[in-house]
Amino acid sequence: MTCEVSVLYFAKSSELAGVRSETLTVSQEITSQQLWDQLVHSHPSLCAIRDQVVLAVRQEYVPIGNELLTLNTGDEIAVIPPISGG
Amino acid sequence: MSGMDGIDSQITCTGSSVDKLPHLKGNEVKSYSLPESHGADEILPELNKSSLTNPDILRYSRQLVLPEFGVQGQLNLSKVSVLVIGCGGLGCPVAQYLAASGIGRLGLLDYDVVEMSNLHRQVLHGENRLGMPKSVSIVKTLQKLNSSVIYLPYHMSLNPENGLQIIRQYDIIADCSDNVPTRYLVNDACVLAGKPLVSASALRWEGQLTVYNYQQGPCYRCLFPKPPPSETVTNCADGGVLGIVPGIIGSLQALEVLKIASGMVPSYSGVLLMFDALEGRFRNIKIRGKQNDCAACSNSAETAILQDYEAFCGSSASDKCRMLSLLSRDERLSVEEYKRLLDDHIPHILIDVRPQPEVDICQLPHSIHIPLKGLEQKNEKWISFLRTKIAELINTGNRVEKTVITICKLGNDSQIAVKILQEIFGNEVDLFVVKDVQGGLMAWAEKIDPMFPRY
Repeated sequence: MTCEVSVLYFAKSSELAGVRSETLTVSQEITSQQLWDQLVHSHPSLCAIRDQVVLAVRQEYVPIGNELLTLNTGDEIAVIPPISGG
Repeated sequence: MSGMDGIDSQITCTGSSVDKLPHLKGNEVKSYSLPESHGADEILPELNKSSLTNPDILRYSRQLVLPEFGVQGQLNLSKVSVLVIGCGGLGCPVAQYLAASGIGRLGLLDYDVVEMSNLHRQVLHGENRLGMPKSVSIVKTLQKLNSSVIYLPYHMSLNPENGLQIIRQYDIIADCSDNVPTRYLVNDACVLAGKPLVSASALRWEGQLTVYNYQQGPCYRCLFPKPPPSETVTNCADGGVLGIVPGIIGSLQALEVLKIASGMVPSYSGVLLMFDALEGRFRNIKIRGKQNDCAACSNSAETAILQDYEAFCGSSASDKCRMLSLLSRDERLSVEEYKRLLDDHIPHILIDVRPQPEVDICQLPHSIHIPLKGLEQKNEKWISFLRTKIAELINTGNRVEKTVITICKLGNDSQIAVKILQEIFGNEVDLFVVKDVQGGLMAWAEKIDPMFPRY
């Protein structure tokens, strides 16, 4: 089963992805690593920030790894690299 | 110590020869004599206030009547010291509201001096402060707002030696800095010293805010164990920032400091606030908790403080633009050499590789515009446009060496562009040479054409 999630790219990730948001079709049952891999597959330059990014699902941090996610259509995925300006 | 006459005696500077700073204008120089120096290791006296005076009650009356805050909140506030690291776009609103609300002591730390391009967001400085240390300038403004607060300016860079010493002297730390190495240093020192860290950042149209190391909450390293590769970090000069964005995030940062200082519970411990000014939305992201394997939290020894944060992060502890060195000397033209080439009417193409908004600000009239991004992506539209231009150049009857020259703001992107052009036109290099202009348009403005805009 797949669903359509809304992916938001913030700060550097929007620059690397070239979009600020998009709708993505993903498996409903997916690990956070698979989800991240799918984002990187669409936008390969995102791999440069993998170790710094906060990946948030429904506004909650998920570590990129084996964690199994259950996603539903309309869920919000946010890709949030830190910014350091002041 | 009351009234404006007390300012100069309260302003102290550390670690720098302020008297040698350029651009200080007459009036401002006179009004701040070189103050006595406070060392990073100096023990600051305890703040002790047991009751509010009548002037206190009048001044703070509108917040004293708030039941969640009240007299006790005000008294708590007056006994707390806050170190504001960075007196720029975030530091200004943080310091302004904390001073106005009656915090006990404010340390104001910044290594930099006021520049014209700061003023759109660093609203406590001013046109008459250009060249003045920001830490001194901000204190001069704050003193006018609330002279009952104790202000300590530190005109210095934070380093592993002085960082821990200063942070230990304060109760709450506000990270308003503008670079990655400083953020890691401040975090590590706060973890070691056991101080809550209210950390904010802003760039372009976005702001972020989190309270780190509060009670059992996570620290900056728990969330970001590895610093970002330096090439993925953008500073305000390169990326731009709308002045209001740090104004908004800095105000929220001040609110978090005030909550902790007055004995309330902060809202953003374990939560990352994201402000998207373009969309007009705030999001609260629940972040992960303290990590057992965190390099800062799991190490209680002073050796947890790294010796070289710039090496750790691969970038400089300032937001000044980096200087790339990709090309050899003979692949580069100084602005003087380029001026001679122009004066001698040597056929060439000048490619301005800056992004469109910067070209809209200013450009050399004979340049053609191809953004670096177009070259990097080998965009067909731009490449064929360039091929046409190069063919025209090669076909000019003149026998002298044909040159394709790239230029940008400071001479970094133009070097990257030369490398890309060499790659694209590798087998045609006997027909023309590719060079860049060292120092870019800002060097042109400085050394050749004083009428050319600087930004």
